[in-house]
Parts: sequence; structure tokens; C-alpha cells
Amino acid sequence: MLTGLLRKLANAVLLLFAVLVLNFALIHIAPGDPVEALVGEMGGATPELIAELRESFGLDQPLYVQIGHYLGRVLQGDLGYSTYYDQPVTHLIAERIGPTLLLVTVALLWAIVIGTILGVFSAQRRNSWISHLVTVLSLAGFSAPVFWIGIMLILLLSVAYPILPISGMTSTETATSTIGYILDVAHHLVLPALTLGLIYLAFYSRLSRTSMLEVLETDYVRTARAKGLPKRLVIYKHALRNAVLPVVTFAGLQFGQVISGAVLVETVFAWPGLGTLAFESILRRDTPTLLGILFFSALMVVVMNLLTDVIYRRIDPRIKAT
Amino acid sequence: MLDTFLKSLPVALAATLGAASLAQAEPKAGGTLTAFTSGYRTLNAAVQSGAATGAPASQIFAGLVTVGTDYAIEPYLAESWEVSEDQLTVTFDLVDGATFHDGEPITGEDVKFSMEVVKANHPFGQNMFGHVTSIDTPEADKVVLHLDQPVPGLLMSLQPLLMPVLPKHIYDDGQDMKTHPRNMENVVGSGPFMVEENDPTQRLTLVKYDDFFIDGRPYLDKIVFPLIKDPLTRVLMLEKGEIDYAPFAGVRPNDATRLEKADGVNVTTDGYGAIGYVHYLELNLREKPFNDHAVREALAHAIDTDFLSKVIFGGRTQPGTGPLHTGNPFYSADVPMYEPDMEKAAALLDEASYSVGDDGTRFSFVLDVPSWAPAAHVPMAEYIQAQLAKLNITVELRKAPDFGTWVKRIASWDYDATMNGSFNYPDPTIGVHRHFDCDNIKNVIWSNTQGYCNEEMDKLLDAAAVETDMDARKALYADIQKMAQEDLVFIYMPQDFSATVYSDRIGNTPASPFGALAPFTDVYLEE
Repeated sequence: MLTGLLRKLANAVLLLFAVLVLNFALIHIAPGDPVEALVGEMGGATPELIAELRESFGLDQPLYVQIGHYLGRVLQGDLGYSTYYDQPVTHLIAERIGPTLLLVTVALLWAIVIGTILGVFSAQRRNSWISHLVTVLSLAGFSAPVFWIGIMLILLLSVAYPILPISGMTSTETATSTIGYILDVAHHLVLPALTLGLIYLAFYSRLSRTSMLEVLETDYVRTARAKGLPKRLVIYKHALRNAVLPVVTFAGLQFGQVISGAVLVETVFAWPGLGTLAFESILRRDTPTLLGILFFSALMVVVMNLLTDVIYRRIDPRIKAT
Repeated sequence: MLDTFLKSLPVALAATLGAASLAQAEPKAGGTLTAFTSGYRTLNAAVQSGAATGAPASQIFAGLVTVGTDYAIEPYLAESWEVSEDQLTVTFDLVDGATFHDGEPITGEDVKFSMEVVKANHPFGQNMFGHVTSIDTPEADKVVLHLDQPVPGLLMSLQPLLMPVLPKHIYDDGQDMKTHPRNMENVVGSGPFMVEENDPTQRLTLVKYDDFFIDGRPYLDKIVFPLIKDPLTRVLMLEKGEIDYAPFAGVRPNDATRLEKADGVNVTTDGYGAIGYVHYLELNLREKPFNDHAVREALAHAIDTDFLSKVIFGGRTQPGTGPLHTGNPFYSADVPMYEPDMEKAAALLDEASYSVGDDGTRFSFVLDVPSWAPAAHVPMAEYIQAQLAKLNITVELRKAPDFGTWVKRIASWDYDATMNGSFNYPDPTIGVHRHFDCDNIKNVIWSNTQGYCNEEMDKLLDAAAVETDMDARKALYADIQKMAQEDLVFIYMPQDFSATVYSDRIGNTPASPFGALAPFTDVYLEE
């Protein structure tokens, strides 16, 4: 098992390296560069100054030299300097990663738990009206744009029935105690986490429903039923444990994607996370920041993949044996 | 008779009650005002122009003067000033006992240092203080400015937005002013409010400075600027009353109509005259076909700015009549206007040898659309494209993906035409001259990028820059506006819809032409 994990770790490092090179190349092949953005902020510059700036950023070098320099710096833990904020990218990411991880984790967790329950429920009663309702709601949640869902939820839960705050992560009035602060953040978290989770709720309810339907048709479930085991035991001990495997796999894979999904949700709810920073970096051509966030996002996917693998091995004895 | 009396009774009662409540509306001290920010990267307005920095910075830093209603210059950190007869020396006396937020006294040396910082780092530094040749500080509370020519707009430039007084003991350490760490961390100001919390990812909180140099001011205890980037979220928060005061709210005219219906919410377009934003169609005058006045005149007849004002801005803005905003003290409406007339436009093009060719077009050009202000620029550009198609002119719209790409094209003069717009700032020498001066044809955005040069215009600009008699100066600017329209340097679009949304509970709402960019010393909350 340890050898398998080590091999996966080595693959992960190679993958991250490839991601770094690809991201760097793609961004630098695209028209325009950070100097154009800087010149824009400065209000324009002479061709001589533009050339001078390009030289100072090393942008006059061939692409492979630039990539080499960048990789060298990344290996030393230096993701460069934001051309807009004039701060180290690592500092900017560290400042905003907490809120994003909180939002993404809570959104994904509730979506997985509730989605799986709904999926299992609808698989058991596959032709009932509840099953059809879950299917329709899933499709609606999956199809609706996330910012639209966010605005609709604000209208419902902040304007029509003002029980939740519209935006931000904390209230203007600073909480006096730690518990007060936690409750304040939790209060602000409900709407963005609900919005972000709704898309994934649809996905996980469909996934677990399909998976459960397949498992319910298998021989061992039929045998368990034939043995006269109580229905609850058949469903939750024998069927669900197998049906949940694809859910775990996708949850790991999706963690990185959810960070990108958080971009719009964070913007709508003024959530101070990485998503808004990524969005602004694209608009401002802040290449070092954007590359840093992309790298971080890739890192999250790789780490989550490894974790998924570990969890997978724990819940599926067949994999543990290999 | 009795009937008339009974009918008028409720009105009389209401008037009496209204008068009584007005009489009781005494400013109250205390309370937290919630505004908003769409993001800022520095709190030092000496090195960064724009409202994002200017709105909070005008509260954190004081200037030598403030600007009251009708552009009256009022004492602030300078309790008085004296201008020499030849207009070349201005002496300021500072108020006694004024201190920075760290308790250090504010002296003439700080004023001198601040002016030098602004002159070297602010985008308009040279325009505002380029003629200040030297600054003396004969006494701690005295500052003497020496000029090489009269500068009539000088005092206007000394208010906190454009010349914030910075603590020399903090900033004069040899570091680059634009990236100085104290622009964002442990900011020490000279104004009515000091920074309590500065978290650019969430909010900026300012608290009253107890030792502010005006007794009993400010009234407010706190001003909070939460970061809200999404305009729709902002509208909902305004409607719900979670924001008290939202200048530069970024609301569309239909949002404004909706907000006006909400309880206790008001919308005003006052407070934008001083910065005076003007939209226009900029044509590259160096090359065919736009180097031909007849072509520009044809375009002016084809584009109906009154129609645009009604359609894009719901009739809430004025049609553009020239380089000056209607709120500018030198605005003149006495300019040539080009009535919408497609037949005349076609005839002008025919006369200018731009008749319809074998391919069915007269000519074609690329119209650049910047990424900023898309709500105004995109529909304007699409309207121009549709109108000119009626004249057999093909317009290709090129939407810029980001600010830098657009700036590079325009600042390097590599364009046919672009939607554009710029701020007047109160004195035309700051925001207007730059577009017309022959000497300002530069590779710098919002300079004279279109390449216009007219010696007569230059003479008028030079004269207006030094004319100290207000009426004579107004007459010169009236001629400048007339000439800009005659020469069709730009084709002016409707003025922008800039609005402030504010709650009923705010007393003494900022009413100067600088609006939210003026200090909130007198603003209070009624409950």
C-alpha cells in the first residue's frame, strides 16, 4: 500500500510540474502581458519605457527562459509579486485561502450529505412522485446559473424574509468573544454555502441515485434480502457502502473545481476569498497572482486526489488488497 | 369660504409641523455611517487619483481648504491666506494646534512635503502645481508658495482630495511614495477620521479623531466602508437599508427608479459637478477619413445624443454639448450643435468625396470599446454602428478584453476611433486642457491622443490658464467650448448617469460639487 501511495505522490509532483509549465505557457502565449496592464494603470507610456519595463520583468527573454526562472522561484516557495497589489503572491493567497476553504468545504459537505440521502431515498422509491421531484429539482439546480441562484436566495432570505445577511463574512460591529465571532461568520456563511452547495447537491443526488440503483440490482443485495435481513440493514449496511464509492471519488476530484465555482459566489456575496482575487487578477492581467492561484488550485486537486485514494482504500477492501 | 378653509387646513398643518421638525433638526453627535467600497489599493490620495481612494482619503487626510457649495473656497487646515498683487505669491496661515492622528503637530513643513509628493506622484500633480517654483516655511504655521505665473485654479487644488496633507515624519524616509507601506498599514492622517481597521478583503473602518482641529467635529463616530463589488448585491443592500450612503453607486437608471420607491431611500445626481465626467466618441484625427472636418460633421449629424440620453440613461442625464460638464463653473451652453439629420450627413459625405462605392459602402473603420463603463459604452457603440450603417459606413466594434489592452492601443495612437470619456476636475486646466493642447499630443492615455492642434485654441487655453478675473476667464472658456464644437475635436455623448443613493437618516448630506469626495465633518445621523 505504501509503495502505491509513494508512486502516486511521485506522479502528483510530475503533474504539478506539468500544470505549472502549461499554465505559464498558456498565459504568456495569450495576447498582451503584465506590462500592458501596468502601462494601462500608468495611463500610457512611450515605446521606450514599455521596452524598459518588459526587460525589467524578464518578458523580453524567450519563453523557455522565462519558464525556467519561474519554476526555479516556485521551487523556493516564491510565487512572485503581484503586479497590481505590489505584494508577494503567497501573502495574498494566504490572506484569502481561509475563507475560500471554509466556504468550499461547508458547501461540498452539505451537498454530499443531503445529496446522498436524497439520492438513496429516490432510488428506493424510483417511480414515486418524490423520486421524480428530486430528479426535477436536481436538473433545475444543475442548470441554473450560480449567480442567479445567489440573487434569488438573497431576495428570499435577506430581503423578503430578512433572516440572513446579504454580503460579507463578518458584521460591521466586531464580535467581542470567539464564540460570538464564530456565530457571526456562520451566520454570514449560510447564504453563500447554500448557493454554492445547491449545484453540487443536484450532482450528488443524481450520482448516488444512479449508483444506488445499480447496487440494488446486484446479487449480494438480493442475497441479503433473501436472507431476510431488515430492509434498513440491507440499504444502509450493504448497498450504501458500495454505492457511496463514486460519490467519494467525485468529491475529491471536484474540490478543485469548487474553488473555481466559488469565483461567482464570492463576488455576489462579497466573500473575501481566492475566487474574487482570481477574477480581479484576470481583469487586471495580474499574471503572477493568477498563476499562483492556478497553481494552488492544482495543488488542492492533487492533494484531494491523494486523500480520496486513501479514503477509498479504507472503505473498499478490494482496493486495499491491491 | 369655509370649504376653502377646510381644504387648506391639512396643508397649513403639514406646513407648520414641517417647519417645526426642521427647526428641531439639530445635528446630533454619534452613530455609525455605512458607506461602501468597490476596492482600493492605497489610502493615499497624493499618489492615486479616482474615487475609490479619494472617498476614504478625503476623510482621513485634511487639505488646506475645502470647497463649499457654488465652488466657494473655504478655510480648512489653512485658517486664512493672502494672494500678492502680482498673483505670484500665496501665503497660508495654518490653524493653531492641528495634529496628525499620532499626536504630532501639523506644520508648514508637512504642507511643503505633501505638495512636493503630489507634484511628483499624482497623475495631475504637474497640472496643479507645475507653476509652483518654490515653497517657503518661514514659521511653523506659515506656508508661502511662489509661482512663475498666476494660477487661478490653485486654491481649488488644495482641498483634501487633490492635496492631502501627509505626515512628513512618517513618509520622508526615502521609500517610493507610490508603494510606501504606510499608504495601507498604520495610516496616520490629518483629517476628521482615523483608520481603525483596514482589511482590503472585507472592509475599511474609520473612527472619529477626537483631537481634530475643528471643535465639535466630526459628528459621526464611525464610517464603515464594506467591500461590495457586485452592483446587484449593492442595490439590494441599499434597498434593505444595510448601506446608508452610496456615492458612485454604479446603479443604472432603472435601479434608481426602483430604489426611489423604497422606504427612506433617496437618489441624487448632485455632487458630481466638480469631477464632471464626460463621455465622447474620439476619432483619430491624423488619418483619413477623420482628418476631414466634413466627415466629422456628417457623423455629428448622424448621432443623436439626445436620443442616447433618453434610451441609455432613461432621460436622467444631459446630452453632451462640449468638453465641460454642465456642473462645471465654466460650463457654457452657447455652442454650435449638430441637429440629427441623416440627409445632410449623406450630402456632406458625398461632397467630401466619400460617396457610396461599388462595394456598397463609403468607408469602414474599427471602433474600439474599452472594458471600463461597459453599461454606457457598449450601447453607445452599437447605436453608432447602426446609425452609420444607414449612411453606408461599416463600423467594426472591437471590444477590449481589459483596460491595459485598450490603453495600449489608444496611447500608441494605433486606432481609428474609440468610445472614451474623462473627468473635467473642477478647474479645466486639470482635466480639459490636456485634450486640446498642441503640446500634449503624447503616448499617454487621456492626453491629446487624437492629435488635435489648433494655434487659436492654444492661445485661448494659455490665456484661460492665467486669467484671474472670473468673468473674463468664463468668457475664455465659453470660446474654448465653442471652438471645440466647431472643430469637432470629439463627438460628445450624453453625460454619465452618476448617482448617490442615501438614507433619510443622514443629516447634512455632503452637498458641495465634490459630493462624497469632500470631508464629512458636518454629516450626522438623525437616529
